[in-house]
Amino acid sequence: MIVRKGRSTVQIERTQSAVSYAILITFLLFVIFPFYWMIVTSFKGETQMRSLVSMFWPSPFVSENYDHLFAKTEFVSWYKNSIIVSVSSTFLATAVGTLGAYALARLKFLGRAFMASTVLITYLVPPSILFIPLYAQIRNLGMADSLTGLIAAYPSFTVPFVTWLLMGYFESIPVELEESAMIDGATRFGAFRRVILPLAAPGLLASGLYAFTQAWNEFLYALVFITNVRLRTLPVGLSTFITGDVYGWGYLMAGAVLTTLPVIAAYIYLQKYMVEGLTAGSVKG
Amino acid sequence: MATPAAQLRAKAALIQPRARLEVTLRRVLGPDYRMGFLFVAPIVVLVLALVAYPFCYAVYLSMTRKYVGMAPVWVGFENYVRLTYDGFFQRAVVNSFVFTFASVGIKLILGMGMALVLTSKIRFRSFWTGVLLIPWVAPTVVSALNFLWIFDYSLGVLNYLLVHVFGILNRGVGWLSEPNTAMSSVIGVNVWRGFPFFGISFLAGMKAIPGELYEAAAVDGATPLQRFRYVTIPGIRNILMIVVLLSTIWTFNDFAIIYILTKGGPGGATMVLPVLTYEIAFGAQRLGEAIAVALYMLPPLAFVIIVLSNYMRKGRAR
Repeated sequence: MIVRKGRSTVQIERTQSAVSYAILITFLLFVIFPFYWMIVTSFKGETQMRSLVSMFWPSPFVSENYDHLFAKTEFVSWYKNSIIVSVSSTFLATAVGTLGAYALARLKFLGRAFMASTVLITYLVPPSILFIPLYAQIRNLGMADSLTGLIAAYPSFTVPFVTWLLMGYFESIPVELEESAMIDGATRFGAFRRVILPLAAPGLLASGLYAFTQAWNEFLYALVFITNVRLRTLPVGLSTFITGDVYGWGYLMAGAVLTTLPVIAAYIYLQKYMVEGLTAGSVKG
Repeated sequence: MATPAAQLRAKAALIQPRARLEVTLRRVLGPDYRMGFLFVAPIVVLVLALVAYPFCYAVYLSMTRKYVGMAPVWVGFENYVRLTYDGFFQRAVVNSFVFTFASVGIKLILGMGMALVLTSKIRFRSFWTGVLLIPWVAPTVVSALNFLWIFDYSLGVLNYLLVHVFGILNRGVGWLSEPNTAMSSVIGVNVWRGFPFFGISFLAGMKAIPGELYEAAAVDGATPLQRFRYVTIPGIRNILMIVVLLSTIWTFNDFAIIYILTKGGPGGATMVLPVLTYEIAFGAQRLGEAIAVALYMLPPLAFVIIVLSNYMRKGRAR
């Protein structure tokens, strides 16, 4: 059937795309403005902030907030702590999750279906009902107030997520690839290492990034487990800047900018994998 | 010359007992049991140590009177019974439901809008998709602090915009310090952070709907609204259920946003169960009662988790 576009159809299409763009721009303003405001604030001086002049642009541009952050607060230690905890959690979760996901997606053994369900349910159990007993447990093990305690606790949410996400990836790789490798004389493990792992590399990357982001953003456990000021992670450290006085906002926003940076940088660089991972991890249809 | 069957029997007798055991093990435990058990063992250990054991310990502690640093005393269901009649707790339950349903409802609408815009004819679609996802990727605590600053009464940009730029209000609003606006404000922040997840998931679902369905509906004279109702919605039904239920769990248990913005205030107006749990545990140091607060909603939570995990497995199996 040939549809001839009359004048009215063209007009309707134009209106439709105008409406689409209008809605898109509204969404973009809503999403971007808080980040814009955060960055602008981080470069504003104290006097400017107090006098409400040139609200939307720093005048003059100052670096005093960043200087204060580095010189007068424990921000650098917090940054280091966050990196240590997030990187360790990422490697731990990816290693454990990859092996487990492969076994749950591919191998035939007693209890496979039960474990697959358990992993999914574990992923759905919220931290707010686990943080108190976990804290008691970590304390009994003498790991309270240490980064080790956090590294030990974070797998409770990173591992189930990574495993669930990777199960989807492994299931999407055709079984025939493995079978033909095994017919050619590879062992099951050899087939896993040489054939499956390289094919699942984008999945590993996406799940690793998510584990990193989750650990980097985690707040509740870090707030509860750590009391030593120098051992705080970034989210907890930043939240202690709320003092209610005017002067805090500048360096608080400077800290916020620097805390967001690595996550956003990783996201921009690897957006394709992360969007794919996001939809594969929770939803697949 | 022996019969083939006899030959086989003779061979079977030669097989070592060890090998026979192996055959039995494979039959009972599955053909890949060695590698399977080995690969799954770390997860089993982690789940037992970090989820199963703490969970059981939590259930036990919720039935005790336990203070930080002291031994627990068994009290049965006393904590739960007392909470049931505690006005502050009741208010937190109501707040939790209001917060959750309002947030999830608005996120659903905005997420649908986002997905529809991103499937319409616009340029640089994948770039805009990426930009709109940023709130979901950014650290929650950073976003909450950011909004704390935006909502600030005297120097915050929201009041500045409303009073000085648009002239809608004569004087600023204490967004987080007044009971009537505090709840809407925290809901707004949760929506801001969470709606991109709805949008991106719906978008993935909509892309999977075959274009012929829309063409067929259009040929049959369906209006755009009817096409949305009878083609789009059924096409993303499974994803819709998963996203709504997932977000319900996450929103109901959201701690960071409310803790940072209001700490449950003013006067308990935004007090929700996770924040109340934290306050009772680490403010009042009453661990048993705190865990009872956290576990009070376990039956409905468990129900949602089971329904959701079935949907998620179904989504995978297709």
